[in-house]
Amino acid sequence: MIRDLLHEIYSTLRQNKLRTALTGFAVSWGIFLLIALLGAGNGLMNSFSGNVSDFISQSISVEGWRTSKPYNGYKEGRRIDLDQRDLDYTNGSEWQGVIYNVTTTTSSTSANLVLGGKSVSGWFTGAMPEHQDQFKIKMAAGRFLNQDDMHERRKVMVISEAQAKELVSGDVEKLLGRWISAGSIAYRVVGIYHTDERDFRRSCYIPYTTYKGIYDNSDKIESITFSVNGPVTLEDHKAFEEEYGSAIKRIHDIAPDDERGIWIMNGYEENLQMTKASSILSIALWILGLLTLISGIVGVSNIMLITVKERTHEFGIRKAIGAKPGNILTLIISESITITAIFGYAGMLLGMIACQVMDKTVGQQAVDIGFDKIQMLVNPSVGLDTAMEATLLLIIAGTIAGIIPAWKAARVKPIEALRAE
Amino acid sequence: MALIELKDINKTYFGAQPLHVLKGINLSIEQGEFVSIMGASGSGKSTLLNILGILDNYDTGTYTLDGKLIKDLSEKQAADYRNRMIGFIFQSFNLISFKTAVENVELPLYYQGMSRHKRHDLAMEYLDKMGLTDWAGHFPNEMSGGQKQRVAIARALITSPRIILADEPTGALDSKTSVEVMNLLTRLNKEDGMTIIVVTHESGVANQANRIIHIKDGIIGNIEENAKHDAWGAELIK
Repeated sequence: MIRDLLHEIYSTLRQNKLRTALTGFAVSWGIFLLIALLGAGNGLMNSFSGNVSDFISQSISVEGWRTSKPYNGYKEGRRIDLDQRDLDYTNGSEWQGVIYNVTTTTSSTSANLVLGGKSVSGWFTGAMPEHQDQFKIKMAAGRFLNQDDMHERRKVMVISEAQAKELVSGDVEKLLGRWISAGSIAYRVVGIYHTDERDFRRSCYIPYTTYKGIYDNSDKIESITFSVNGPVTLEDHKAFEEEYGSAIKRIHDIAPDDERGIWIMNGYEENLQMTKASSILSIALWILGLLTLISGIVGVSNIMLITVKERTHEFGIRKAIGAKPGNILTLIISESITITAIFGYAGMLLGMIACQVMDKTVGQQAVDIGFDKIQMLVNPSVGLDTAMEATLLLIIAGTIAGIIPAWKAARVKPIEALRAE
Repeated sequence: MALIELKDINKTYFGAQPLHVLKGINLSIEQGEFVSIMGASGSGKSTLLNILGILDNYDTGTYTLDGKLIKDLSEKQAADYRNRMIGFIFQSFNLISFKTAVENVELPLYYQGMSRHKRHDLAMEYLDKMGLTDWAGHFPNEMSGGQKQRVAIARALITSPRIILADEPTGALDSKTSVEVMNLLTRLNKEDGMTIIVVTHESGVANQANRIIHIKDGIIGNIEENAKHDAWGAELIK
């Protein structure tokens, strides 16, 4: 029966080649734009998330700041330093199961690294082994700090690739295991972290314990960084920050409504906002694409209406010899779906080719944004799921386009249809 | 019971001015009869034929076809009855222009859901009976009026219907072809026992029938028994 139906459709569509082609073009164009837009959008989002994923980590950092309100006998403008009490609270039972992977960093101390006749400036920061994960530090050579470094307060350090390149020419790996003097103390290089061409980070990581022993024997903590397990939505995170922040404020006698006593940087929120931004972009592109497609659907519907009117007499004949309303309905809708599907599919293929062209042209260009180079489009393409959605969309679109004309055709009485010319 | 039983059929068209076209038609037609319905235009003969063909409905009365009451049928049911019980022959042939002769003949079987090969074979058989084997692959606009009407007759016969309804079957044909087509219908009636109802305003055509029903202003006038085919106007065809 399917074959018969296809034959029926073919024989009628072949009657009106030009009309079929024009109608089909509207659909092709709609789908082409939809796919090209979605592909470009995906490319933009890929580049967006690829470019920022280097900076945004899935963690929350807390730092002391300067108060802006007087409270509890203290004047405003007081400098707040985090200390062991904050760390104890963070690690405490109250947040058991929520806060994990707690790390701290010390303040920084400037240093001049000297090797042979060359020197380079830098900042020493005392860090914990978890710091690498928390801040997504990529290693170019060697390793990051480890627990043994911490326990034994080793004099080891991890420097940036940029610094390494200034100290040795050629392969930076040569630096691994070398002792570099910084002031009166020498540190052994255990690792070099990756920095891009234009990334001039100057942080040199040494074990937290080592730093505390040499540069800062107070219990001050520059920052506390941790992961959380529990808050999911933006609202959850806001609530968490509020609760956690007010506890820290109590410890330091900061006014509860003081916005500036402590500073909380929430990487999760930035990620959530980015995800939200990309989904909004995606929705916007779908809407644009669908709107374009609608003009195609209206085109098909319009043509089908004219066709149905022209073919009224034929439907009358068909009904007289036994076609049920359902047969006529099926015929028109199938015709509509066939036009939409075939031309839509062609449009989809062209759209995918356009995505490939974009990848080969715009996708290969990097844009200089000052401190870094970014690619405008990364892998602009649509996935199989989108292709499937688009196919489904075409079938639905075809049905919608055909439904009103088909209904009209099916409803007309055979006697009236036979009279029509 | 007769094959067709009409009892007090009334039909009014409700337009700007209501038009009472059929005013109580009583008629019974037996299996194997060849009947013609004659009348001037506007007499209601076409409306009667449309009701007989389940293409149109009536307001009051009863119409029984082959023991089945034809009243208030759904479109689907009506289509099924038309397909299985009635074969139509129209003045303007009503072939589908973009289908070949054999495809046109096959179409009623397509709506019965018959397989492609079976219905093609059957359609070829009927075309052969009409002497149109060589024309099977031709489109209607490549054929003469007589050929087209024979294709239409093949299409009407292919489902082995209970009745053939012919609405001015010779209206678009020249006199020679008209005779051929009418002879064909007569032969179908005589040899195959097919019940045939022809609506016409040509007395020569009507004269081929065994019974001539005259309809005027929506009521049946006289009914002529015409077994000898010597009714008025018979000489026109000779």
